Amino acid sequence: MNQAVWAACFVLFAAGLSLLVFRRELLAMLLGLELMVNAANIGVVYGASLAGDASGLSAALLIIAVAAAEAVIGLSLILRVYQSGRSPESDALKELHG
Amino acid sequence: MTAVLPLSAILLFAAPISAILISFFLVRPFKPRWTHWPILISCGVVAVSAVHIAMRVYSSGPLDVIVAQWMVAGNWSLSFGLRLDGLSSAVLAMVAVVGALIHVYAAGYMEEDECMPRFFLFFHLFYLAMIGLLTSNNYVQLYLFWEMVGMASYFLIGFWYHKATARRAAMQAFLVNRVGDFGFMLAALFLLAAFPQSGTRFATVFPAVGKASPALVCAIGYLLFWAATAKSAQFPLYFWLPDAMEGPTPVSALMHAATMVTAGIFLLARSWPLLAGVPHLPHLIAWIGAATALGAGIVAATKMDLKRILAYSTVSHLGIMALGVGLGEIGAGIFHLITHGFFKAVLFLCAGNIAHGLGKPTASVDEAGGLIKKMPLTFVCFTAAALSLAGIWPFAGFYSKDAVLDAAHAFSPGMGVVASAIGFMSAFYIFRMLFLVFLGPRPRQTGGEHGGHHIHEAGLWMGIPVLLISVGAVCVGWFGAQLQSLLSAGWMAAAAPTVPHMKVLEAWPSLALAFAGAAASYWWTTIKPNWDWDWREKYTAVAAVFASDFGWKPAMAGVARAVVVLSNWLGLSVDKDSWDRLIEASAEGAIEVGGAGAELATGSVNDYVWWMAAGVAVLLLVVIFR
Amino acid sequence: MVHAAILLAGVVAVVFAVLMATQKSLYACAVCLLAVLLQTAAIFYFLGAPLVAFLQVMIYAGAVMVLVVVTIMAAPAENARAVNKPSAPWLLAVLGVLAPLGEAAWALSRGEFSQGVGWGASAAQMQVGAVLFGPYAVATEAVGFLIFLSALAVIDLNRSRP
Repeated sequence: MNQAVWAACFVLFAAGLSLLVFRRELLAMLLGLELMVNAANIGVVYGASLAGDASGLSAALLIIAVAAAEAVIGLSLILRVYQSGRSPESDALKELHG
Repeated sequence: MTAVLPLSAILLFAAPISAILISFFLVRPFKPRWTHWPILISCGVVAVSAVHIAMRVYSSGPLDVIVAQWMVAGNWSLSFGLRLDGLSSAVLAMVAVVGALIHVYAAGYMEEDECMPRFFLFFHLFYLAMIGLLTSNNYVQLYLFWEMVGMASYFLIGFWYHKATARRAAMQAFLVNRVGDFGFMLAALFLLAAFPQSGTRFATVFPAVGKASPALVCAIGYLLFWAATAKSAQFPLYFWLPDAMEGPTPVSALMHAATMVTAGIFLLARSWPLLAGVPHLPHLIAWIGAATALGAGIVAATKMDLKRILAYSTVSHLGIMALGVGLGEIGAGIFHLITHGFFKAVLFLCAGNIAHGLGKPTASVDEAGGLIKKMPLTFVCFTAAALSLAGIWPFAGFYSKDAVLDAAHAFSPGMGVVASAIGFMSAFYIFRMLFLVFLGPRPRQTGGEHGGHHIHEAGLWMGIPVLLISVGAVCVGWFGAQLQSLLSAGWMAAAAPTVPHMKVLEAWPSLALAFAGAAASYWWTTIKPNWDWDWREKYTAVAAVFASDFGWKPAMAGVARAVVVLSNWLGLSVDKDSWDRLIEASAEGAIEVGGAGAELATGSVNDYVWWMAAGVAVLLLVVIFR
Repeated sequence: MVHAAILLAGVVAVVFAVLMATQKSLYACAVCLLAVLLQTAAIFYFLGAPLVAFLQVMIYAGAVMVLVVVTIMAAPAENARAVNKPSAPWLLAVLGVLAPLGEAAWALSRGEFSQGVGWGASAAQMQVGAVLFGPYAVATEAVGFLIFLSALAVIDLNRSRP
């Protein structure tokens, strides 16, 4: 079971990374980011359970909070991109605008 | 420092410097024709000061003073200083007096020239530089004035710069001297390396010669001789001197006869404590001097242009001086330097009088002939100087030249033969000149007519200096003993220089040779009046050999051309094809590398994330496999 | 029994994650992510940390996913080409992404990760509050402040600009 959890952690991380690298839509990239954070969280919690350490669990909680905040801001930014009329893809956002 | 220096030493420099400045800034802009007056006054002051210094050194000994620090770096330093010992004060006295009189001569000679102000300024600059050279107390300062003298020579040889031959001669003189000066510069650097704390001062270098590295001392000796070869026109670097006759006669008389060319001999005499110990060098100097003396003497007997004859004669006598120094007879060599200064100056000034009388820059034997009636004063002075040159008793040359040739006989039989030939040839060529110019006129000569000019004696400005210097040419030889005791003041080698006293009755072989030479020249110029022109037409090949200095002039021309070709190849092909291409390739390479790097910045976030992931992968590799 | 549950949750999570990476439609992606999050919560629960599991479901699967779905709804029409062409060649790109995975697998097979069965979570759960407001008080306050700032940012970002 031990291998399973670790394997799950890394596979989830790789999946999130591939979303981030290979998809153009900003939303897909954001979802990949969330997946990566979750994968990391699995690792943290499992490590905390192995060590019996409460600070590991606290860290996991804090990670959830931070990830939620970051997701919210990212979504707001994507909404701004929608509103500015440009397509929500990484290709369109290659150059700094004046 | 000034409290230690006598007033005359200060005046030696202060007078010429202030004269030049006053003439240039105050007199020349307003009254250009009066430029020479401050300069002539300075000449007088310098001449008196030089004689006073000689008398002072004679009675109370030498003087070696550091005047100012020039460059200091840690415990290594160079300084300006004056060294007034027997050697420098003897030569200085001759240079100052003869130079002053030639300045006076030049006032008359250059009177009608429109560029007279420029002439006097450069001439006096040369005078100053020569004084500085003679009174330097270290090698670097001597080098400074050595170069300054060469620079003045360039300006004065090319004085009439609108003549292409003059420009070329000036450039040739400067460049050939540069080749020698490179040797001097290397010698100065080696001196700084071999004697680190000395600042190349003579007083500290010469006592320490024995303790320095023999290889360095050897190199220094040979390099100094190389420098002297260029400046004092020894084989192989003598060929600039005959062409340097393009300058005005006062220039030829002062620089290329009496003073500047003797700077090389002076350097050898000054460095004798160092040179004496270098293996084979003194013998090399002696043999080169002898060869130069003989070769130049032979060529001098074949020239038609008056100043050219005297130029080759100067080369020959410089060879005699080098021979004297090389044999270890410093006293005899310096004595000959001094007497030669007098009689050669007279000869040149007389040639200048003849040319001036004809209204030309220089005269040829073709235009002279029978001048004994038209220029009696010149004839008398010329004859006195000629007798001195040939070494006839009781004239000055007898005491100096025959002393050197005597030492040559004592050295080795081979050298003795060469010395005899030199004695014969020098009498031959000078009497040939005397007879051709003053006796006659011969059928092929015009007898002093040129373009309507009837030749006549020159004015007072030009006549009196010649007279005064010829008095010196007669009398200076009688003071050999005084010179010997003067030279011993401040001499830094083991043995003080001696001036052998020549007695008439013992020197009869050399006197006989001189008379034989005179008689031979009489035969071939007067008994057979057309011989001098006929042999040139009959034996054209032989004439060509003499005209090309036994083939050395074409050889040097070839060397110069080779150097030009080499430098063209280096400067044009190598520089453009290899070096420029290398630089451009490196620039292009940088641009390409930058371009390749720029392609990495795509602007796409996905790519940047990929790079991060790849970096993490590499780091993980390191962590896992550590 | 708990082992099997965790194993099952892990397998399902992996399946849905791989599914998510290969979906073209954004909605499908979001739904798959939701499934993964729920499985993660299950793993947390069966490891013996129910608090973390509940918070995961409430915050992540509850709030964050709703916001994501709303944003997807607000998106303009999608175009066909959804896949980005990376600037490196395809093989290299895939390799770069999968390399960390490969290395992790290799390390796992060599047993470099912590072994053992972890049941210490339940005991640790009791301490979480004390830890959060004890040694990690500063971190907790900082995260709270961050959430406050993000709320402000969201308000400001969604203001209509002239």
